[in-house]
Amino acid sequence: MIEAISIEIDNFLNYISEVGISKLFRIFWFFFMFELFRYLIVDMLALIMIKIKRVFTKKYRDEARRRFLQEQPLISILVPGKNEGKHIFKLANSLREQTYQNFELIIVDDGSDDNTEEICRSLKRNGLIDIFIRNEVRGGKASGANTALRLASGKYVVHLDADCSYDMDAIEQIIIPFYEDERVGAVGGNVMVRNYKESLATTLQGFEYSDAISIGRMVSSYLGIYKIISGAFGAFRMDVLRNIKGWDIGPGLDGDITVKYRKLGYRIVFEDRAVCQTSVPNTFRKLAKQRLRWDKSLIRFRLRKHKDVMLPSENFNLLNFLSFAENITYTLILNIKWYVYVFDVFFNFSGMIWVILLMNFFLYTMTNYFKLIFFNFFRERKNAPFSYFIPFAPLMVFYHGYFLRFVRTISYIKEIFFKASYEDAWNPEKTSLKAKEIGI
Amino acid sequence: MKVSYENNAIKSGGFDFGVISINDPWNSERIAYYDGIIIDGVNDDFVRNLVVRIRSHHRSEVYLKPIFLLKNVSIKDPIINELIDGVVFSLDQVEFVVERTKDISLKVKEILEVKSLSFEAEMINKTINLLVTRDKKQMQAFPYIRSGIGYFYPELSINFAREDESNVLKILEMGEDDGLFTSSFNDRLYLCTNCNGGFLNYREVCPQCSSSHSTTEDMVHHFPCAYIGPMKDFQNTIDDELNCPKCNKTLRHIGVDYDKPSELHTCQKCNHKYQDYHVRAKCISCHHDNYIENLIPKEIKNYTLTRKGRSVAYNGYVSTTRDFDEVPGTVKYDVFKIMLKYEIERLRQNDYTSNIGFMHLANAGEIYSRLGLERQKSLIAEMIGILRHNLRSADFIAFYDASTLVLSLNEIPTKIANKILNDIASLTISLMKRNFKTVEVQIKTNAIKLTTEISHELQLQNLVRTIDRTPQNIEKDSEENE
Ligand SMILES: [Zn+2]
Ligand SMILES: [Zn+2]
Ligand SMILES: [Zn+2]
Repeated sequence: MIEAISIEIDNFLNYISEVGISKLFRIFWFFFMFELFRYLIVDMLALIMIKIKRVFTKKYRDEARRRFLQEQPLISILVPGKNEGKHIFKLANSLREQTYQNFELIIVDDGSDDNTEEICRSLKRNGLIDIFIRNEVRGGKASGANTALRLASGKYVVHLDADCSYDMDAIEQIIIPFYEDERVGAVGGNVMVRNYKESLATTLQGFEYSDAISIGRMVSSYLGIYKIISGAFGAFRMDVLRNIKGWDIGPGLDGDITVKYRKLGYRIVFEDRAVCQTSVPNTFRKLAKQRLRWDKSLIRFRLRKHKDVMLPSENFNLLNFLSFAENITYTLILNIKWYVYVFDVFFNFSGMIWVILLMNFFLYTMTNYFKLIFFNFFRERKNAPFSYFIPFAPLMVFYHGYFLRFVRTISYIKEIFFKASYEDAWNPEKTSLKAKEIGI
Repeated sequence: MKVSYENNAIKSGGFDFGVISINDPWNSERIAYYDGIIIDGVNDDFVRNLVVRIRSHHRSEVYLKPIFLLKNVSIKDPIINELIDGVVFSLDQVEFVVERTKDISLKVKEILEVKSLSFEAEMINKTINLLVTRDKKQMQAFPYIRSGIGYFYPELSINFAREDESNVLKILEMGEDDGLFTSSFNDRLYLCTNCNGGFLNYREVCPQCSSSHSTTEDMVHHFPCAYIGPMKDFQNTIDDELNCPKCNKTLRHIGVDYDKPSELHTCQKCNHKYQDYHVRAKCISCHHDNYIENLIPKEIKNYTLTRKGRSVAYNGYVSTTRDFDEVPGTVKYDVFKIMLKYEIERLRQNDYTSNIGFMHLANAGEIYSRLGLERQKSLIAEMIGILRHNLRSADFIAFYDASTLVLSLNEIPTKIANKILNDIASLTISLMKRNFKTVEVQIKTNAIKLTTEISHELQLQNLVRTIDRTPQNIEKDSEENE
């Protein structure tokens, strides 16, 4: 077997030396054109720029922090959720550890059928929760968040997930960007994987979060095309949130609301220093389910609901257009292109298919290692030592290249052709029905 | 049957009935004198006050008196109806109540009057005497608007001021423990932690500032856009349509395009928004805002007199099992009477003045309920200490009843005796004021001259009759003390 492979590689290298570098590019065009350029070169350049900028603007950030702490604005922390009672005590307690304490904690119980209500009522009696509202019938995540919003009186809103935990300076860090630039309308927090050691699935996700997601968001934020504020940790200007009358129904409401902010001309930034830890799905099956839901939202919200961003109009904004275009290109179009690539290789280089696969694997693995080491210099806060991920870099090729891509394909097909997100059990049926009817 | 009517009195069937109308002043002697009382019932308040006054009197000649009501329409107060012995529609009908009067009078004669040192025992005694002379076996709790706790046991509760009424429950419990009553459940009751009052206003209050001033709104959830807000957000000034402020669509059909997932209260004092209101019970009497979990729970029972209970009326009931036995510095009432007899004998041979007097706690019921049994005991002990200190050792003291001490003041002029009693009373009042800050003690004193003409028993009775007429002592040296 190994002998067979080494012979194949020999053949391949001979072939390359014969046909020259242009042929190599012809065979691996997908890798060179998209993956290497967008996810390595651009990232590297951006990260270097970010690093330089941070050095030169440190004074400015310190000043912003000073103004923020002097003003002491009230922060409304909203935590909507169903059957989250078991997490709320830990969350409320951990919030007491925050360096910034002028906040109100608002919990909305969205029709839980367990003991969430009891737990929260007693926490409120003991002063750990400021406002607790129970919706007797479930209304979905957006209505839960909007209920909390209705009762909030802070200057900024921080949206949290009950099952996450937060660095002690997380609230402080996520608010500072508002004081650095008054055009900032919302700030996304940096979500890390708490249970990265639990299983292979969580380890690979840990790798993904710290490289693709976290670094990716730093870069897109720098480029001005950052798009999704994670529901687990995001901060919003209250006046804007009230103006747009809160969240629309999900799934994908996290991405949806940022589009609305962008349309109003506000900047959306990512703050890697505001850290939150979450538990991710611990099996590939659960992970696939989660990603199916996330990916569907791209179609639904980018292509359907907010298609106007792509069209010339009086509200047209180049950055918004680019953000959308980048998002659609690098998720939807690339996904299609990849299949084109696979066909291309199959038909034109069928004799070398195994070699090409191997080579592909090799190229991606090398890139992963390079990124793992290189990015490490740009992370200010990490929850896992990067060495932990070293053995998993080759596996990430399969994770990114096949698993996630496959899931994404399925979800796009489902959403484009069947509008599957409207049947998602994540929202109550009544709201989905209405949303489908009016086409959002 | 012959009926004669003069001087506001009617004779019929050998009984004298006093007719009391609204302009007659209160006179316990007059009530004690007649065989029965007819109240001219023109005014309900007057009737109630008079009935209460008679039935709560401390002398059996007064509180056991048959009472009839002269009235065209029946009185609505259920408690008064329980406490009177009959109704006549005109004075001509008085012969119809003769039988009843006779019956009660006979039973009253069988009653053995004993004087007790125990306030509870005295109350139980009074109650049972009233029941037995009226052939009643049951004592039922009436829901009653004028009751301090909401439920009223006519024969017993009548003895208490509104604010002290909860003692009734303690006393009945005591009676039940001593086997005088059996009980059955009637209702459950919650009382104010501060004053034992039963008039409580239960209402939802803000969990943050306890204010009851709040507004309540239904939250509306508009499905298509996930808007959440109160109904008023959807109203417009132009028409009756309800439009969503976020997506402008019209609300159509609850459950289809919108619903009301929650109700929200907003405190008008501190602006707190909440669902989990606290319930507090505000006492109408003392204004204390009670946490409902702290309210004093009580079981209201109906009581039935046992055979042992009935016998109390004939044999007397000197002390409950919870009472103290004797108070140092006093002699038993029987001993006091014997000593008195000897003093009258001495008076026949000597030429000096001797006196008997009383010291009466005018608000014993109140003191009892404010201090509780233990502290009341120490109050009495202190009072006797003061008396002993200021009287000569030859003078003796005895309890006439739980709220009245009788004493002898020998070989001094009556005027001096009265002055001594007065001084002791005001000293006691100011002392009590210092030691028992929550209660004001009201004391009546009087001394009368002993004569050799009539028996010692009769003289004692005459003395005790003056209690009603005697004004209260005031604290003389209060200025010096404050
Ligand atoms: Zn009270
Ligand atoms: Zn309040
Ligand atoms: Zn709407």
